[in-house]
Amino acid sequence: MSKVIEITVGPKGETRVVTRGFAGAECRVASQYVEQALGKRTAEQMTAEFYQGQQQASQDLRQSN
Amino acid sequence: MSHIVTIKTEVRDAEAVRAACKRLGLDEPVHGTVRLFSGEATGLLVNLPGWHYHAVADLATGQINFDNYEGQWGEQRHLDAFVQAYALEKAKIEARKRGHSVHEQPLPDGSIKLVIQVAGGVS
Repeated sequence: MSKVIEITVGPKGETRVVTRGFAGAECRVASQYVEQALGKRTAEQMTAEFYQGQQQASQDLRQSN
Repeated sequence: MSHIVTIKTEVRDAEAVRAACKRLGLDEPVHGTVRLFSGEATGLLVNLPGWHYHAVADLATGQINFDNYEGQWGEQRHLDAFVQAYALEKAKIEARKRGHSVHEQPLPDGSIKLVIQVAGGVS
């Protein structure tokens, strides 16, 4: 799956950043540069894909022990 | 989808201010000080269509100072359009710096979507 950052700028200049195709915390790192450049965060919401990534990481950890 | 972030735009980049003015067909912004009702304002002076006074982009605070007398001396929609253009141009500048490709899509509600393809992993 390709890794995409979608930025939607509303008619009044309010901005929404959505990441797609990243697993877990990688998405936060990937879009951080553009988020910081645009201004101040007013909200952040994690989606199912983020938590799947987190679960996968902890399962991998358990399996390797 | 992984996460969704909402951002209040701050105007801090002179290059993106110039690009936004060019995008909207406005005069090239110049640095200066003007007297507004609220007092003196210093920054990049943006000449919005039909506005009596300049809007002043203060890059140090990220704020735009203006005096449009609640719309009588200039329509709010022109300032909103400038902020939208600034955010788009700033995002494009940052994405290109990292070698990411950017594609613009206008949406029916007046929003504009930028799709940034991240080549390979996280850069």
